[in-house]
This record gives sequence, structure tokens and C-alpha cells, in this order.
Amino acid sequence: METKLLSQFVGDPQQHSIERAIEHGAYQAWQKVLKEIAPADLIQIVKDSGLRGRGGAGFPTGMKWGFVPKETLKPKYLCCNADESEPGTCKDRVLLEGDPHAVVEGMMIASYAIDCHTAFFYIRGEYDVGQVRMSKAIDDAYAKGFLGKNILGSGYDLDIVVHRGGGAYICGEETALLSSLEGDKGLARLKPPFPAVEGLYNCPTIINNVETLANLPHIVMKGAQWFAGLGTEKSKGTRIFSVSGHVKNPGNYELELGYSLRDLVYGLAGGILDDKPLKAIIPGGSSTPLLLPDKIDTKLDFESVAAAGSMLGSGAVIVIHEETCIVWVAEILAHFYMHESCGKCTPCRQGTGWMYEILRRIEAGHGKMEDIDTLLDIADNIEGNTICPLGDAAAVPVISTVKLFRDEYVYHIEHGKCKVRSQFRLRVK
Amino acid sequence: MILSDSAKLQISQTATRYPKVRSAILPALHVAYEEHGYLSDQMYEEIAQVLGVKFIEVAEAASFYTMFPKAKRGKYLIQVCRNISCALLGSHHLTTYLLDKLNVGLGEITADGLFTVVEAECLGSCTTAPMMQVNAHYYENLTVEKVDRLIEEFRSQK
Amino acid sequence: MSDFNITVNGQQVPVTKGQTVLQASLAAGIDIPVFCWHAQLVPVGACRICLVEIEKLPKLQVACATIASEGMIVHTDSPKTIKARQGVLEFILAHHPLDCPTCDKGGECDLQNLTFKYGLDYSRQHEPKHRVIVDANSTFDDLLIGPEIIRNQNRCIHCYRCTRIVDEIAFEDDLGAYQRGYHTEILPPPGREIRNLYSGNVVEYCPVGALTNDDWRYKVRVWLTKQTNVICPHCPDGCNLKLWTFHNKLFRATSNANENIDNGFLCDIGRYGYRYVASADRIKRPMVRRAGELVETGWEEALTFIKKQTDDIKSKLSGSGFFGFIGDIRTNEEIYAFQRLLRRVIGSNNIDHRFHRRRRLTPGEEVISRGIESDNAEYKDIENADVIIVLGSDLHSENPITSLRVKRAVKRHNAKVILLNPLPTPLGKRTATVEVIYKQGTAAVLLHSLIDAMVDLNQFDASAVKLSAADIADFRKANAAYSGVKGSEITGVDVSLVARVAEMLAAAQNVFILAGSYIERDPLRDSLHLAVANLQSFCKSARKIFLPPDSNSVGAAFLGAEPTVLPGRQSWAKKAVCEDLWHGPISDAPGKDTIGILEAIDEDEIECGFVFNADPVRLFPDGEYVRSVMEKLKLLVVIDSFMTDTARFADVILPLSTFAEIEGTRVNWEKRMQYSQRAIPPLHESKPGCQIIELLADRLGVRFNQPNPADVYQEMAKFLPTGAPTIYAGIGKDGFLIRSVAANKPGKLADLRFVAPAIDTEYRFFLLVGNADHHRGALTERNETLMKFTSEPFVGISEADATDLAVSDGDLVKVESKYGRVVGKAMILRDFPSRRVLLPENFGEMSTNVLMGRQDKIDLVRLAKM
Ligand SMILES: Cc1cc2nc3c(=O)[nH]c(=O)nc-3n(C[C@H](O)[C@H](O)[C@H](O)COP(=O)(O)O)c2cc1C
Ligand code: SF4
Ligand code: SF4
Ligand code: FES
Ligand code: FES
Repeated sequence: METKLLSQFVGDPQQHSIERAIEHGAYQAWQKVLKEIAPADLIQIVKDSGLRGRGGAGFPTGMKWGFVPKETLKPKYLCCNADESEPGTCKDRVLLEGDPHAVVEGMMIASYAIDCHTAFFYIRGEYDVGQVRMSKAIDDAYAKGFLGKNILGSGYDLDIVVHRGGGAYICGEETALLSSLEGDKGLARLKPPFPAVEGLYNCPTIINNVETLANLPHIVMKGAQWFAGLGTEKSKGTRIFSVSGHVKNPGNYELELGYSLRDLVYGLAGGILDDKPLKAIIPGGSSTPLLLPDKIDTKLDFESVAAAGSMLGSGAVIVIHEETCIVWVAEILAHFYMHESCGKCTPCRQGTGWMYEILRRIEAGHGKMEDIDTLLDIADNIEGNTICPLGDAAAVPVISTVKLFRDEYVYHIEHGKCKVRSQFRLRVK
Repeated sequence: MILSDSAKLQISQTATRYPKVRSAILPALHVAYEEHGYLSDQMYEEIAQVLGVKFIEVAEAASFYTMFPKAKRGKYLIQVCRNISCALLGSHHLTTYLLDKLNVGLGEITADGLFTVVEAECLGSCTTAPMMQVNAHYYENLTVEKVDRLIEEFRSQK
Repeated sequence: MSDFNITVNGQQVPVTKGQTVLQASLAAGIDIPVFCWHAQLVPVGACRICLVEIEKLPKLQVACATIASEGMIVHTDSPKTIKARQGVLEFILAHHPLDCPTCDKGGECDLQNLTFKYGLDYSRQHEPKHRVIVDANSTFDDLLIGPEIIRNQNRCIHCYRCTRIVDEIAFEDDLGAYQRGYHTEILPPPGREIRNLYSGNVVEYCPVGALTNDDWRYKVRVWLTKQTNVICPHCPDGCNLKLWTFHNKLFRATSNANENIDNGFLCDIGRYGYRYVASADRIKRPMVRRAGELVETGWEEALTFIKKQTDDIKSKLSGSGFFGFIGDIRTNEEIYAFQRLLRRVIGSNNIDHRFHRRRRLTPGEEVISRGIESDNAEYKDIENADVIIVLGSDLHSENPITSLRVKRAVKRHNAKVILLNPLPTPLGKRTATVEVIYKQGTAAVLLHSLIDAMVDLNQFDASAVKLSAADIADFRKANAAYSGVKGSEITGVDVSLVARVAEMLAAAQNVFILAGSYIERDPLRDSLHLAVANLQSFCKSARKIFLPPDSNSVGAAFLGAEPTVLPGRQSWAKKAVCEDLWHGPISDAPGKDTIGILEAIDEDEIECGFVFNADPVRLFPDGEYVRSVMEKLKLLVVIDSFMTDTARFADVILPLSTFAEIEGTRVNWEKRMQYSQRAIPPLHESKPGCQIIELLADRLGVRFNQPNPADVYQEMAKFLPTGAPTIYAGIGKDGFLIRSVAANKPGKLADLRFVAPAIDTEYRFFLLVGNADHHRGALTERNETLMKFTSEPFVGISEADATDLAVSDGDLVKVESKYGRVVGKAMILRDFPSRRVLLPENFGEMSTNVLMGRQDKIDLVRLAKM
């Protein structure tokens, strides 16, 4: 069973219009905040709710906001991270296209909490519909007086600027996002300084994921206690999981955290395509380690997935059935990280390409036995040694596939071909 | 002058939304790309002038992102997602199918000037794989039939 | 002065708060490898070679960007660190072409050295190497990306030092990194070249051979060379160079980093400047005029000739029939010995080094010489200022390294920079906070308008500036004609702009004023010196520097190269000291300055001159006049390295060694005296200046026994302020600052007497003289490398005037004054004010001095298309 909190109205084709959204309760939280809640209290409410970031790292949202210096004379900025580019992930898009006002309202609330008067909505350049709908939603919110100067007589000013990316996964990484927003190449930056202290234009900046922000109206309206009642002890609320790959009913499913992976894959998603045996599941987007079928009863919350040896990440559940060559999977992902490395730091710039080239060679039937250990060692030399987590992310699929499917690598190298065939034909109809 | 006056106006208006004009480089590149379908040094120069930023800042930024190519493309730029969710459902065959059907190599322009096929990384449409992006639009849950129909439509629209 | 300690490899390492782990470790002698880090650049942590283990932190950290904090326990040689470091090296080498045998960087390459020290002894990389192909038929992928710089992308390790130097240090924008990931390529912007004035630094600081110099390409292996430390002779900034020689030939110059001055950066003029030394145009042997022609001869013959001729003249006119000019680029020792030769041996006080600028002496002003009357200030004081005024100076072209310091003040300390100039200059582009363009000749009025506007502001705090209300009121009354709207009418500067600058000045805690060559050339330069001093009085704290025109102008002024002051700027009363040291009397006849000398020749009172590395015919305003005067001389002895315009009039030419062939000391604008080594022995039959002077003195009757600069220095040192080193060995890297006690104390307020420059309806254009890109003064014309950047003179005019005269870029135009004319190609300058013409003074084919009148305070010309 889905728990439709954020996605309650996304099925309504008119939900993106402000009238319909207001009918469904949009901007009530915003009005309540402006009227009744002081910024410091708002931060406390979000802390109490236990909300954790939905962008990947799962950092407690209220705590992050608390890092913004109070005494500074510098302006503070909020950036909504809608760069969604992690392979397997398309859950933010559901909200941007299906309920943009919820995202706008979330941005308003977060801005207010950190005393920001100019917020940026950074959306990956390819998301055309999302960009159009969000821009329209923001324009309409201005027209209704929910944005602009002295909003609803509260004395609080807020502008939201929509910024389209130019096609670069790295710009989802928060510091690269800031570089990109400043008009530069999307190069990641060293931390510290952390963005909350020195971010956009060297000013305090909070970066939050779309889905994280979309939770805020609900928390404001129904209270921290209510929200904390959803999910597990440490993973509160719901998440939208993008289930893709070899399932009968791929799609985005909003679940209370702690939902069983089995129920998601075999229940909601209808089970494995053509009823083939399951080979592996990537539970949190391409940057998270694979889980073998024996972990199918893992609960989908931050702690349980971590205990199973992976990460909840971006909530993208990629299902892989038995007839898939794992070397080929690793090659595809390695290509991705090579293509997306910003190139600033050595291990990622050089290592991602090297891993890809070795994997391509093995896949093409020219592997050597020592390649396997070389791959592991390259991944080890990248992991933990880069500026931003893209390097770590690139190491993950390699390490994880070698560790879990070493025999398949060996077979591939010995026989010069796949152990299992992966001829995924395009369906005719 | 390559960029139209209205494009330039749009660029300078966008710039006013940002605390620092340099931030308007990406929006400006989008405007130029939408007007011409590719970018050029001359366009970089004009953008730099309109915004009052440095030529090199525009040139460096443009070179980093995938959406501001300098090469001209066909009228329909078909980007086939090659990443994992799509690949698991046959996107590689989608690419070869398209290339064969249109009789063109990856990244080239078809003889009629209509199509260019390229591969792209994940476009955020993984639950509706396989998919392709044609210009700004996403086409999802693709099948051979669907692709055939789409190509016909594009051809008839010219 | 450390604040706390950290532990590195078990050793206690003192840390000053704010230092990185790397800085603290390096200071304690613990080596941590680096590629992308450079002391002068903001750390980016990109290369990851400096990863170290810090206890309690889960991941390795980059030492270069991690601020040390109390109690940190760091390991630079733990297994984890070593593995990461080897991993980084392996990554870098994976696609490196390993073409060390043909790489110019071989022997001084960080990648070679660190691989040697830390690298693996095997390779696991079997994939084809990435290659950016420039020439498919060659194994080299050399791409010329500027007049001097060659890029080989395959060797690049993506440390981004080059692009950061261009951006952060030079504030330029002609080199960038394009694409992303491993495709990232270092290139100038599309369609352009890297040719900024500091471009050579990217080669020096590229840790590998990805960027190399055409200059040094495939010439010699670095380990075969010998290095000497010299002081750059090209401008008064005083940068420290290393000259690299092999078999007594010069091969290149690099920085010999001095944090007092250059921070390890050089401008291209200094870096490539040495190339004139080996120019084929050098005067190789002594020459004597026989039957109207200069013919080569030997030293002995030349000296005998001089002896005979001078005896004749001396018997007729005594010492006052002689004069001497010496160039500001010579060493202190040469200057000192030269004036001693004139005063003591020849018996003449007619000596000057200011032959290249018109100078009309006013009573009481004769001792003022640009540079020497500056306040006591150093480069680091520029960084301590919150407001920097650049007054009448194209600081970028004339003082490139001072200019870098100003940029650093902006970058690191958010200093505000105010340009007050008669024309737009390159610093206006990115360095300046405001750029004010005043009408030529009105700078003094502008300064008074500023003072007046300041006083009216709330921020102005009379108590902080120690002026009485009465003083201020008097001063304002006296100068009322130059304030507000009235001032603005004279200067052409908007009242609101003046107000804006005044606000910045009134709020400033520390002002630094750098006044340059347009002040010297200003018709009101006398009042200007006072106006600058006045401005200083109205600032809370300010220092003023009058930038000297040449590399050792300050030394020349200090060591007696002016007619009425003795070495050490001693007054005539101290004559006995000199006579004692020089074992004999010196003349009491008052010396004449440049103009006095020229007029005296004209009136046949002077018949013989010694011109030592000076070219008044080329540089003194009113070239025609100097020519006519030179022709009148009975004997002209020119001591020089090249056939200058003046040398063409010589009766005897003695070949002089250049800066690389001599040792000696020089004094930069800070009044810092520095020692310069000899890099190579004298070329051809040339001799070092001190030796030539000793030969002449000996031949003319007085032997000093000081043929070597070291000997001259020991005597000369007696005229230096107390505390000065008495021998060369005592001069360290910091040099010696010649401080004057009177400086930094603003004088009495003075009012301005402004005479508006006469406007001539026929000669409607103001003539401005400056430097062409990559040139400075007259030396650079003999330099093949610098000529690659700009090879010919131009006539710079505004867009409006170009339209008016129907002139387009490159058209031939003639520039005429009452005195003469020159012809050159038009260069239309964007944002250049109209009714001005800018000519470079670097090219013999276009001598700007023919357009100038020696009596005039301002130079006016007319323009026409040919
Ligand atoms: C390579 C990389 C890509 C990322 N992409 C995204 C993204 O597309 N969207 C997102 O919200 N967070 C992304 N993140 C995580 C962000 O850096 C950041 O942690 C997040 O936006 C914070 O928001 P949250 O606290 O609301 O999760 C990415 C991180 C990395 C390292
Ligand atoms: S890890 Fe990769 S993406 Fe991140 S900074 Fe380094 S090169 Fe760029
Ligand atoms: S060219 Fe040299 S300095 Fe520039 S990034 Fe490459 S290695 Fe570094
Ligand atoms: S993998 Fe194809 S759209 Fe995400
Ligand atoms: S030297 Fe520290 S990361 Fe390059």
C-alpha cells in the first residue's frame, strides 16, 4: 500500500494550476507560517519532525538549517535542488510536473526559516515540462501575492528565480550546483567551507532536494509529532521510490519509510518481468551498492538498507533479473561516471575513465585475470580520496559488482563472453 | 550580429533576476541555443557583450555542459538514453534501430537534414524506459511501433 | 610566534593560526608532495597528491587546504597515505605520454621528481593512451597558443595552476580550461592567444612540460646550465631574476622569487628581456671617427684618441667645457664612478641622468627628482592599504609587478583602487574600483577638487588628519577656484564622480598613492608634487610614491648623477668628504642640468661630452634641437652597447657590457638596494662600465684602482645611510632600504597656481606617450622575443576622432607638431577619450621626441590621414 502524502494529487491532471492546488490546500501552510510561526520555531519544528534530506545523503534538514549563521549581514540563499540526474531516479519529476505548487510552497517555508529573500530553483536543463510548470506556478504565486514584497502583509519579502542547468549530473552535487548557478562550469568545491556558511556568492546557502522541501507544508499543517509518527524510529515520513528495470509495473511509489523491499518489488511493482529469477537490486540509485536476492526482505529505511550493505540514496530501486550480464551493468554505470566527472580532481577524472576502459575490454572479451584486482584497486584509490562524492559513487558499482559477482567476471575473462546473455530487445509493441 | 534583438533583450532581462550577472550565462546560452540550435564563438561574444561578462567565462561554461553544442544538428535531435534503466529494457537496440532506419551514423545529420541521433545519459525517465528525448520533448515507454510512428510524424511535419 | 602545535609524523610542528597543515609542515622541514598547490594561489585541492592521514577523521585530507587545528595528529607516511599518493601518481601517469627525453621540462619536472621519489615501479595501465592530436604525423602534439607559449595537452596533469595564475594573479582572461572530465583542455579563449603581460609565468609554474616556451625550446638540458641571480634592469620594480647559462650563453630567465617584491612572478618584459644581450646589433669593438666615418679600432687607440682630444679642449675651456649623461639603467657603482670621473678627473659638475624628460628647473626644485622624494614604503604596504590611488600612470605597462601587488591587495584584502589618469589604462578593466579620466594637464586641479569634496563629507574627520580648522578653511579659500563645478569644468571630471572618490578617501584608513609617468610629463608637475602632498595631509594615513622612470633612477639620483648634489644627496657643503675620499679637489663651478648643458653646447661653452648608456637624441623632447647641438660638439664619447641615435654623432664609441655581463647594485622604487650577479663574461670586446671608467680616469690622469664594482661599492657605501652593508657579501636577499627620515611627513599645505594649458586651434590634439604592449622604453626594440608581441609603433586615437578623420585601423596617419612630424599606422582605441593621440616611445622608427618642444609644458599635435 502506498502512503500518498506528497503524491496525493499528482494524478490530477489540473493539479499544476494554482486554482486546483489551492482547492487541495496549497499555500495554507505558507499563510500559517507567515502569520503564526517565528523562523527559529519553524527550524525547531522541522528538527522535531525528524525530516531527513531526500537528495541522497539523508542529512537531517532542520539541523542543516541550523548551521546558517544568524549574525551575518550577508544575504542568505536557498537553492532547491531539482537537478535529478542519478540513474534510476525520476521521483522529483513527479512532483515538479504533478504538483509544482507543493514544491514552491516548500521553498517558501524553507526560505522563511533561514531568512532568505532570494531563492533559486535549479532544475536540470532537460526537464522541460517541469521547468515550464514550475515557472508558471511561481508566476501564479506572485500573482496571488504569495511571493514578492511584503507577502500577505507580513513584511517578509521573497523572490524565487528559476535556473535551468545545462546538462551535467555533477551539478546535482551541492557545491557544483553553486558553481553552476554562479555562471561557471559545474566544478565541485572543497568543503569546508560548507555552503550553509559560505555558499552561493560566498553567502550562507541551504541546498535542499525537491522532495525534502515538498514535505514541509505537511509538517507545518499537521505538526512535527504527526510526521514523526510516520516511518521508523530514525527514518521519518514517506519517500517516493522510483522502481525501474526488470519489473512488470515500473513506476514511482510513495511509501512510508520502513516498507518492505519485497512488497515493493513483488507487490506494487508487480514482480519480475517475464517472471524471471531476480539477480540483484540497486536500492538507492546508481551510486549505491547492489543487494542480492537474499536481502529482499530488507526494510526501506536509511538504517535497514545500510545494515543490508547498501544505501537508501535517492530512492531509485533498479531491479535486475537473472539474464543480465553484470559486467555489462558495471560498464554502463562506469561510462556514466566517466562522462559526468567534472575533471577537477585527479582520482575521479582519471580513475573513472580507466575503470570504464577495463570494463569495456572485459565486456568485449579481452579481459585479463589481473583486471579484476586492478579494478578493485583503482576503485579503492578513488574512494574517499576525491573532492566530492561523485568519485565515491563511481567506485561503488565496480566494487559492489566485483564483490558480489566475482565468478561472473572470471567467467567473462576466461571465456571472452557473458556467462548470461543480456540481449534486451526492444519491444515491438 | 547573430543573436536577434529579442534574444538579446531576453538575455539582458534574465540577468536582472540574479544578484550577479555572471549567473545569467547559462540562461543566455539556452536562449541562444533555442534560437539557433547550436552555439558559436560569435554567439559567445555577443552574450558576453550583452551581459558585460568575459568572453572566456561564456566560452568555458558553454564547453562544460552538454546542452550547448557547437556542432549543428538535424532539425530533430534524438537523444536516446543509454543508462541503466533504459539499457535493461533494450535502449541500445533502440539506438541501432534508429541509426539503421534513418541510415545515419551516431551524431551525424541525415541527408534530408531532419535527424541527428545521439546517446545521452539518464534523462530522469527511468520508470518509463526505454525513452528518448527529441528536441525538448520526452518520448517514453518506447517500442518499435511507437518509434516508427514518431519518425513518420516528424517527417510529415518536416 | 606560533599559536599552537600539531603533531606530524610524531614531530611537534608549530602552527600560526590560519596556516594549513601543508604550510606548517613545510615550515618545519617536513616534505609533503604537491602539484596544484602554490604558495601564491588560493588552494583548490584538485590534484590530491598531498593527501595525509589525520587521526579521528575518517578520510584522508588534502594537506594543502586543511587548516591546522590544535591537537591534530597528522601522518604523511602511513600506509594509507602512501597508497593514496601512489594511486594519484598512477592516475596521472596513466595517460601521460612519458616523453621525458624530448620534453623541455625534463630535469625540473615535478612529475618526474615525485614519481622518482614516490612512484610505483610497475604499470598496470594497458589501455591505449588518450591523446589530443595536434599533428597526426608527429609524435609531438605541440600547439602554439600565443607568441611565446607552446602547449602539449597530453602532458597536462590538470593542476590548473596556469589558469589560476592568469585569473587570480594577473587578473587576465586569456587562458582557460574547457570541456570536462579527462577531456578538459587548457587553451586560450576560442580564436585568441595567450599574450598577457604575465603570460610567461604559466610556463614557469606549470609543474610539467605541458606549457613550454618557444624561447627555450630544445636548446639545452636544464641540468647542464648554471644559474645566476640578477636584478631586472627593465623597470624600477626591481624583480629578482635567475639567468640560466650554458657555456657562457644565456638561455632563459626565470623568477628568483623574492617575497618582498615579486612573489615569484615576472612580467614578460623581464622574463624575455635578456634576449637583447645577445643581439647581433651589439657594438662589438671600440670605434673612432676617421674622415667622417666611424671605424672599428682597438681599446688602446680609442683611449689615446680620447686623451689627446680632451687635453686640447681642457686647455681651452677647463672642466666646465665638459658634460656627462648617464642612463638610469646602469648600476650604482657605474653611476657613482662616472660622476666621480666627471667631478674629480675632468673637473666638471655638468652631469645629469634626467636627459630623457624635459625638465625646467624652478628655484628650490632642482633637488627634486622623481623617485627619491617618495615616502618610505614597500610593496607590502600596498597590501596594507585599503585604498590605492594610481595617479597618472599606466601602472600595468610601466610597473607590471607593482601592478600585481595592487591586484593582490584587491584579491586578498578587498582594497579599493582609484585610477586617476589622462587616458584609460589596462588596470581599468578589472582591478579598478573607479577609473577617472581627467583632461591632460589638469591632475593637480583634480586633486584639489577631491580634497575639497572630502572636507564636506560626514566621514571626514579633521582631528584624525591633524589639520586645524583654520588651516583647512584657509586652504579651501585659496583653492576655491578648483573645487566643485569650477574644478569639474577644468578637469572634465563629473562632480558626482569626484564625490564618489572623495567618499572612498574620507573613509579610508590607509591610502597608498602611486604616481607615475603622466605626472612627470604633466605641464603642472611641479604643482602636482605639492598637490599630492596636500592630498596626503587630508588623509588619515597615506603614503606617496613617485614611481621613477627607470630601473635605477633612484640610485642615479642618490649617488650623484645630478649636477648640484653629491653622492648620498649630500649638499655642496659636504664637498670636503668627497675630496678626501677622491684624493683631490673637485670643482666649485655649479653644474648644469640637461637643458643647461644642451644650451651651453649651443653657445659653445661646452665642447666635449661623455654619454654613458644614454640616448638624449632619441628621448629628449625636441629631438631636432638635440641633434643640432650634438653636431656642434668637438668630442662626443659614447659608451654604449648599441648604435643609438646619439651614438651616431659620436667621435668615439666604447663598447659597454650589458646588465648580464656585470655585477653591481640597483635601487628600485622602494629605495631598496639590491645586488645583481654577473651571469656571463663581457661579450665581444665590450667592457663593464666600472672598468671603462677606471681606464678613462687612469688615462686622463687619476688612478682610483677600482676597476671592479666590488671595489667601487666599498667606497660608495660610505655615502649610503648608516647600517648599509659595506661589502657585497653583506647584501642579503632583502637588500638594503635607503630610508629618508623626512619622508612620510606631509609638508605644509600649499596652494595651487594653475595655468590652463593653452589651446591651439590648429594643433588640437594632446600628445600622450606610453608603452606598446610588451615593450618598455627603448631596450625592448632589440629583443626578438618581445618584438613577437608588438613589432611596430602605432598612432592610438579614439573612435570618435577616427570617424572624424575618416581613418580606419591600420591606415597611415601623420602626426605633426610645430617641431616635427612622424607617420604611423592608426590604432583605434576603444573607450579612449577624443582629442588625444597616444604614441609608444619604444620604436626608433617613430621617435616621439621630434614632436616636442623643449620650452613647452604641454605637447600639442595635429593629425591627418596620409
Ligand atoms: C554527484 C552527486 C549528484 C547529486 N545529485 C543530486 C540531485 O540531483 N538532486 C539532489 O537533490 N541531490 C543531489 N545530490 C545530493 C546533494 O549534494 C545534496 O546533498 C542534496 O541536494 C541536499 O538536499 P537534501 O538535504 O534535501 O537531501 C547529489 C550529490 C552528488 C555527490
Ligand atoms: S570527484 Fe569527480 S566530480 Fe567530484 S570534484 Fe572530483 S573530478 Fe569533480
Ligand atoms: S597546463 Fe600545466 S599548469 Fe596548466 S593545468 Fe596543465 S599541468 Fe597544470
Ligand atoms: S536510465 Fe534512462 S532515463 Fe534514467
Ligand atoms: S597539492 Fe593539495 S590537492 Fe594538489
